[in-house]
Amino acid sequence: MKPVERFFRKYFLSMAGIIALFLLLNATLLFSMLIWAWQTSEESNLSLKEICDSIVMDEKGRLTAAEGLSGLLEEHHAWAMILDDAGTVIFQSGLPEELPRRYTTADVAKFSRWYLGDYPVYVQEHPQGLLVVGGEKGSQAKYYFSVNESYVRKLLVGLVAVFLTNIIIVVLLIWKNTRHIEKAVIPILRGIETVSLGQPVSLPEKGELSEINRQLNKAGAFIAKKDTARAEWISGVSHDVRTPLSVILGFAGQLEDDRTLPASAREQAACIRKQGEQLRSLISDLNLTSRLEYSMQPLRMEKVYLVELARQVVCEFLDGGLEERYGIAFCADQESEPLSILGDEALLKRALGNLIQNSIVHNPQGCRIAVSVLCGKVGITVEVTDDGAGISAEKLKELTADHRRLESTDEKLDLRHGLGVLLVRQITEAHKGTIAMESEPRNGFKTALTFPTSNF
Amino acid sequence: MLDKEILVVDDEKDLRTIIRSIFESAGYTQITTAVSGEEALALIAKKTPGIIILDVMMPGMDGFELLQEIRAVSKVPVLMLTARGEAEDRFAGFELGADDYLIKPFLPKELLLRVQAILKRAYPEKNRIVPLAAVAVDLDQAEVIREGQRIPLTAKEYSIFEKLAENAGRIVTIGILCQTLCGDIWQGYETTLMTHIRHLREKIEENPSKPVSLLTVKGLGYKLVVKEPEK
Repeated sequence: MKPVERFFRKYFLSMAGIIALFLLLNATLLFSMLIWAWQTSEESNLSLKEICDSIVMDEKGRLTAAEGLSGLLEEHHAWAMILDDAGTVIFQSGLPEELPRRYTTADVAKFSRWYLGDYPVYVQEHPQGLLVVGGEKGSQAKYYFSVNESYVRKLLVGLVAVFLTNIIIVVLLIWKNTRHIEKAVIPILRGIETVSLGQPVSLPEKGELSEINRQLNKAGAFIAKKDTARAEWISGVSHDVRTPLSVILGFAGQLEDDRTLPASAREQAACIRKQGEQLRSLISDLNLTSRLEYSMQPLRMEKVYLVELARQVVCEFLDGGLEERYGIAFCADQESEPLSILGDEALLKRALGNLIQNSIVHNPQGCRIAVSVLCGKVGITVEVTDDGAGISAEKLKELTADHRRLESTDEKLDLRHGLGVLLVRQITEAHKGTIAMESEPRNGFKTALTFPTSNF
Repeated sequence: MLDKEILVVDDEKDLRTIIRSIFESAGYTQITTAVSGEEALALIAKKTPGIIILDVMMPGMDGFELLQEIRAVSKVPVLMLTARGEAEDRFAGFELGADDYLIKPFLPKELLLRVQAILKRAYPEKNRIVPLAAVAVDLDQAEVIREGQRIPLTAKEYSIFEKLAENAGRIVTIGILCQTLCGDIWQGYETTLMTHIRHLREKIEENPSKPVSLLTVKGLGYKLVVKEPEK
């Protein structure tokens, strides 16, 4: 179930990513807005220090402004004055008429914090007293803050804590939400996977998504019903074909052996018999394969000694009148002789028989077949090798492809070549074994069935 | 053997005809047929046949029911013909007391061989003498007859030889022979088997190192070649 878990991990990470992106974007926007406001607002380039320096005392003890100061102040709609220690204006440039010419200490304290008659003012120390520079009414915002330092510190720490807590809460909520969705959706996805494998599905029909679960159960049951119907149909058809085929095989065999008939007629009868026999094995393969595919074939598991089983299968071929141009050699290593697996003897015999039969059928010009049982690291391997025509890489790929043959919609579905192998694969897999095929054109065909040692 | 009566029970006319034909051309002379279980029971009540070939799928009383009825009154050997052939059917048949089964569609030769094997088991011949290239073996006495002399076989040699003789002309695998020797737990008795085979060859072969009757089939087992009776 890796992909689904990966999906939810990705989903969770992407949500966290979205939050992070959101924060970053906000910070960037705020920062750029500040920069924009700072860069675009009119800046008074009036320097208090410059003004302070340009007002000096001349030889006569009078305060005079350097040339251009009044022009500069005018340009900025500003004014300047210097108060002596007693609060009297001892110098002024552009000082509005409505402003008083004397100030008490309280006045000074007030306007240095706030405004002087609505004029925003700034103060600086001057050798002769206090320089007061006033700007245009409404041009500057002036606020005065005074807070306890520990309060500020706490406030800062608190802000950071609130920010972090928020982040954690959001992440936790996302995680919880993801888990919630995961919990509801994973069974459904598992169910879909199960259905796609053609296995029966049964989901609990409760919770928020019970409707979907119910529908999935229904779909599974529907598919199973169809599968069963198909298997039963195949079984029924093959059943109906059996009796007529017995009669055909019987009479063809009789005619073939009838010495009163001309040789050509007997040859024709032999041909009918051979084709009938092929049809017979095809039908029984088709029936068994559909039963195995839809898990309708009960396995009779018992201790099976593979070496002895292989011997018996090979002997059946040798005793069954194998034609001269075919040869079957058998070998088994010492180690595998006493080894047994739990298996269905009849099915395993069928699988091995099919492999040998395949080599015979696909090499009408004759071939040597070698059957060997070998004990390896992963298990016990039964190999069937022939030195016959072999098949092309393309065809081999087709045979090894692990698709469910009966469900294939391939119009070129070649039962005669594929079904035998499919059946062998099914039987092997029903025994938790693996199948491996090797072949090259004109270089023989080799099939190895390996059954795991854990099965011993 | 050929004079044993064979009763074929099948509702399909063509199948009855072909089975009759198969046995007639093999030399059997007494073949009767029945189309239903009821008719078969009536025939059996009159005279018990040598063997019954029974189709499972029949309208009315099916093969299994008929088998049950037959078993209630007789131990006559029965071969079941089953169209289904699935495991359940086979075992149902065996539990009810069938001697063998054959799945349709069957090969004529297969039917013939199975019936012959059942008849051989059910009606063992008296004076079972197995003629070989160099000697003859008297199975009833467990003795080898070589040039008028009688050499006794040990119990183990006898059981091996009997198995080979039952399957004369066919390979009997090492496993089956070991099983005959030692029962179900036979693994590891391959060397013991070889010793017995050697002793057996000394008794039945002209030249034990170049056997012509008891042949080794490499890796698989052994085969007994019986001398064809001269015509």
